[in-house]
Amino acid sequence: MSPTQNIDRGILVFSIWGAFGFLGLCFLLEGFSEVSYLVSLAGITLIVASFVAHIVVNAVFNQGFTSGETALGIGSFGILALVFVIGWAEGGMPMANFFAGLTLFGVLAAGLLVYLSTRYGLRGAFSRFHVKQTVAPEAGR
Amino acid sequence: MTSTANGTWLPLFGLFYAAVTLYWARLAAIENRNTETFFSASHSLSPWITALMLAGSATSGWFLLAGAAEISSNGFGMPALLEGGIALALPGVFFFKRIWFVAQRLRLSSQVELFRTYYQSEFLALVSALIAVLFAIGFAGLQMRALSHLISLLTSGMVSPLEAGLVLSLVLFGYVAIGGMRAVGYLGAFQTILLGGALVGFAGFSLHATGGFGALNASLQALARGDETGTRFLVEGVIHFSAGLGRDGGLAATSTSVASLSLAMALMGFQASPLAAKIVMSTRSANGFGAAQTWVLAGVFGGLIAFGVAIVGAAGLVEPQLKVTGMLAGLVIGSPWFAAWMVIGLLAGIQLLAGLALVTAGEGLVRNIYKPWFHSSLSRADTVNITRVVIGLLALVSFLMQSLTPVTLSALGAVALPLAFQLWTPLLGVTWLRWVTRPAAVTGVGFGIAGVLLTEPLGYQILSFFGLELPWGRWPWAIHSAAWGMAANLAAVLIVSAITNRQSFGEEALEVRRFLAETLKTSARANSLRSTAWSVVLAWLFLAVGPGLIFGNYAFGEITPKGGAWHVGMPSIWAWSLLFWALGVAMIWFLAYAMEMASPHRLEIPAYEPRPRLLPNRSAAEGERLRILFISGAVAFALIVLIAFSFGH
Repeated sequence: MSPTQNIDRGILVFSIWGAFGFLGLCFLLEGFSEVSYLVSLAGITLIVASFVAHIVVNAVFNQGFTSGETALGIGSFGILALVFVIGWAEGGMPMANFFAGLTLFGVLAAGLLVYLSTRYGLRGAFSRFHVKQTVAPEAGR
Repeated sequence: MTSTANGTWLPLFGLFYAAVTLYWARLAAIENRNTETFFSASHSLSPWITALMLAGSATSGWFLLAGAAEISSNGFGMPALLEGGIALALPGVFFFKRIWFVAQRLRLSSQVELFRTYYQSEFLALVSALIAVLFAIGFAGLQMRALSHLISLLTSGMVSPLEAGLVLSLVLFGYVAIGGMRAVGYLGAFQTILLGGALVGFAGFSLHATGGFGALNASLQALARGDETGTRFLVEGVIHFSAGLGRDGGLAATSTSVASLSLAMALMGFQASPLAAKIVMSTRSANGFGAAQTWVLAGVFGGLIAFGVAIVGAAGLVEPQLKVTGMLAGLVIGSPWFAAWMVIGLLAGIQLLAGLALVTAGEGLVRNIYKPWFHSSLSRADTVNITRVVIGLLALVSFLMQSLTPVTLSALGAVALPLAFQLWTPLLGVTWLRWVTRPAAVTGVGFGIAGVLLTEPLGYQILSFFGLELPWGRWPWAIHSAAWGMAANLAAVLIVSAITNRQSFGEEALEVRRFLAETLKTSARANSLRSTAWSVVLAWLFLAVGPGLIFGNYAFGEITPKGGAWHVGMPSIWAWSLLFWALGVAMIWFLAYAMEMASPHRLEIPAYEPRPRLLPNRSAAEGERLRILFISGAVAFALIVLIAFSFGH
């Protein structure tokens, strides 16, 4: 991919997450704050839409997620999941928020699996998670 | 939620925004290979980035801050505001494709260079550079000031306007100085999307706060039935022969159809400005201009203005606490994340304009004025570095004026658009009207500037400083200074063109004429539609922003204190504006594509190679010029002090 295309893709990705992703986050926070599953769901829909838009942009530019994007995505997912689990363990979490959190993480996890299986195939998707031991031919001599 | 928690979100989102700007500035600097392509991003910005930039910078924060405030205070009496998307897009359709072709042929980078090359006029070059400075300091500075105060309000005074302004200016200076035009371009697309999101967000929350579209219009109907408030939904006549604001005309006197038409003219100034030319000349292809003007600016952003800004303004009209500032202040208590997201969107729109203005003004002053006049041996690296210093100085001046001299800042900001509108005549001369001669263009712009300054506070403040009092106020007869300037400008251009030699042009200008005539020859089909195009444009101007607005008062029903109804459930003039926004998009499409004014045109354009000329050593002349500048500056200063001391007050 040419540097110009790389730049164009980067701008699109930033725009998608800056506008829709952050708006989704706002709705999600509003839903948690107002204890409204529907508002949270609107936020989740926007976040998923951003994820889908990101994948579409990747497809248009014939590229996958960059390593930075992957790290940021998995890191954010992990932190959010941790915060959610701590919040739930402390108790007092309203059921609407509990289900909203479950929906978010469920949808994102399912979305990731669907993405991997459609992009790499089922076996290929599994192969993304384990490292093959490569032994140089000279090593055994 | 505690106020501390509320106050966390805005800095958090702000930090994210600052990180993004610096990330892209760094990328841009790497792509620039330090200083090589600082000014024009090697003319390689993608057409879709250009499209977004043109829309975002034209809209900026102005419509949300000033446009919605106008509707909130005075109602729908100035429908040109709602047609802003079309008024902004129209000049681009006329000019951009041809300007891009000329710039490619002659390898030009800015409007200053365009005027200098075509008209061989240092006056036009200087005017273009100074207009960019006015945008950088005044027009963008005013919006930055409003934003700084807004941030201070939202943080309950924890951050003062001064501190907010300082941080915003530092972020702005940081990314512009590091990445130049490339950073402005890359970030421009991102900022436009954020701005669009913020416009939708503001409209959405206005509807939510007023109980929905039906409830909002029910409240507007109640206002329309009032004796005093009923006129807020009417265009009150064609013209009002007042002496102008500040003399015998209040703000209400401006809601005439001619006032609306003249405001539309002022809005048309943006795309004739050096800022828009900078974007156009930094683009790698002219194929996106049609889509940019038709769908992005007129369509999407025009719709956001006609619907969104109108809804925000109408909400403020119904309930004054729902004006932009009040709404955000309320929102920051219950939903601080939404308030932060919308403020960042507004900030993005304002910084897009400010960044573009800074880089254009910096280039204009250093590369286009200082270097050719005083220091032609300046290296590329030194030119860029001095430009960075000038950009810093401009940002600093703007920041200081935001805090220390807001009245002067406002006066400077107010003349940016109308002065840019005066550049229509020289641009028309370059692109379409071959009969506009060099003396005509120069005289026209000179008269236009005089017309603008004599009908704006800046002009009569300056004259008052010297002891001269004008008998009229701002915008006599409720006609915007842009139209007064253009009347003088056009008259001068017509008269001077008629009496001067139309063949007296330089080599480059003749080449431009030949090149445009050969390459952008319109097809027979477009030629056959020419009279239709004229009719469509004139009809749209008459009905959408001109005297025909009077029909809009009653076309979709009428409400008076005695009764009546709006047939489409919203103010008739608003419905009329929406109708003509939709028709305006069709008109822009017709001009851009059917008339081929901005349609895609694939052509490899070789650079024009002028005849070789001997370049004499200019260092002695430049030194002499610098000496004359200092002496005349000192004499002028002494004279000004003397006159002001004798007659001023």
